[in-house]
Amino acid sequence: MADALVIKNLNKRFGGLHAVQDVNFRVRENETLGLIGPNGAGKTTAFNLIMGFYRPDTGSVSAFGQEIVGLRPHQVCTLGLARTFQVAKPFGGMTVLANVMTGAFLRDRRPEAAREKAREAIDFVGLSARESAAARDLTTIDQRRLEMARALATQPRLLLLDEVMAGLNPAEIDQAVALVGKLSNRGLTIVIVEHLMRAIMAVAKHIVVLDHGQKIAEGSPKDVVENPEVIRAYLGSGYVHAPAGGPS
Amino acid sequence: MLNIFGWRSAVLGGLIAVMLVLPLVIKSSFALEILIRVLLFSFIGSAWNLMGGYAKQLSLGHAAFFGLGAYTSTLLQIDFGISPWIGMIAGGLVAMLASLPIGWLCFRLRGPYFTIATIATAQVLMLIFLKFRDFAWGAEGTTIPNLGHAPLMMQFETKAPYYYIVLGLLAMALLITAWIERSRIGYYCVAIGEDEDAAEAIGVDAPSVKRKIFMVSAFLTALAGTFYTQYIYFIDPQTAFNFNVSIEAALVSIVGGVGTLWGPVIGTILLETTSALLQSWLGNSIGGVQLTVYALILMAVILWRPTGIMGYLAEVYARRRIKSLSSPAKA
Repeated sequence: MADALVIKNLNKRFGGLHAVQDVNFRVRENETLGLIGPNGAGKTTAFNLIMGFYRPDTGSVSAFGQEIVGLRPHQVCTLGLARTFQVAKPFGGMTVLANVMTGAFLRDRRPEAAREKAREAIDFVGLSARESAAARDLTTIDQRRLEMARALATQPRLLLLDEVMAGLNPAEIDQAVALVGKLSNRGLTIVIVEHLMRAIMAVAKHIVVLDHGQKIAEGSPKDVVENPEVIRAYLGSGYVHAPAGGPS
Repeated sequence: MLNIFGWRSAVLGGLIAVMLVLPLVIKSSFALEILIRVLLFSFIGSAWNLMGGYAKQLSLGHAAFFGLGAYTSTLLQIDFGISPWIGMIAGGLVAMLASLPIGWLCFRLRGPYFTIATIATAQVLMLIFLKFRDFAWGAEGTTIPNLGHAPLMMQFETKAPYYYIVLGLLAMALLITAWIERSRIGYYCVAIGEDEDAAEAIGVDAPSVKRKIFMVSAFLTALAGTFYTQYIYFIDPQTAFNFNVSIEAALVSIVGGVGTLWGPVIGTILLETTSALLQSWLGNSIGGVQLTVYALILMAVILWRPTGIMGYLAEVYARRRIKSLSSPAKA
């Protein structure tokens, strides 16, 4: 399989904080990759570097064979990368449909065509009933759905999901997991940042673990949770020799 | 029964008809003057609303474009004998070009800093026209040579033609706004106004969109400048780059409802009528009391109806719809 995203020696400093240090990983096409790590590990920073919101100090990011460092966010999006935000950023005053249409306009400037594409995306995430609601009136999970629909409407090949499950209740998490699975079945390549191990194990076949800006482990979900480095990062060194399980 | 589109066209058609016959019915030139003022500020407000309302880039420097439009057409007319009709378009183009460096400077800033920068650009332009006398009459300004009835030079002996000109300008601004509202750039503007980062993440080239809408807004505002100078036969830096123009443009839109087609018109009608009525009721009592009352009314509107009159109407409409939806049929 070809590589959808290749990240090489990525570095970003904010003043004295080395937020991302020599991070390397690759995402294969149609794969769902989980990016995990404790708070402040550099996951969201990595997203911002990939999407062009920050410019890396050194290193390279290439998407579908093309170098994208130095491109602005809208150019990255045009190349087929889309993201959601950790804190949902709906266009509050617009309706759900208008929000998603704004995304659909990237590929077709005709309002009618954009409306049609938007409806498809809204239907896909299961938000059709709320189509004419103002985005600010949506519940948390519906706002996340909206963000996904809006990102989908740009017709991406690679979708970066930043903690789409944070703040959801267990039933909603199951729905969100199902939705991510549905996206993956559609042929999308997905990079998902998530705190919830249960959720990430359910969707990702391959996991990259960041801690203090460095990649400390990579592999299948099972390998990763048994990795002593990962356990130390999440739970502290006292748990490294604990008998069973892992962080859950 | 008329459907919603039928209603809208009927109301709109009626409104246009009334607006067209008004000057034939109204004989008082004072009343026409007020109407012209209302239409003019509705027009400036609509121009401002494209950028300040839809894209939420709160400019308080639109006097810059008003002044550039006024000076361009006046310079062309007095120095080269070119008709203000052409000068008007030329002024619009000058303002459009000027919006590029002004935007280049100001759009680096966001929120209140952006607003302050726009105020500064208008003030700087005013100072330039004040200080450089050889260029455009300096602080004294100049009167426009009165040619009597000269339609080709945008000069008329009655008020009615001016009324029709500014009515035409407003109609054009509303048509442009209605078109933008439905097209991609309109959606992009609103998205930028809501959340610029989120907009960029879905492929919106925010700087380019802001630049474009600023150009349109500047162009239209400049047309108002030319019109106003022709209307009062006088120009000086204080009038052309008057801070009040910038304020009024923003105010009528904010009171009426930013980012709505009719907001600036409704805001202007409300503010101008209030101010005219207060003037006639209280103008003869203690000096300045009408302005104080006016300011209080403004504060009240902004405090209690921050979404403007249009926002309030939309709320009422939505509430009534919810009520009718939650009748037994739905439950």
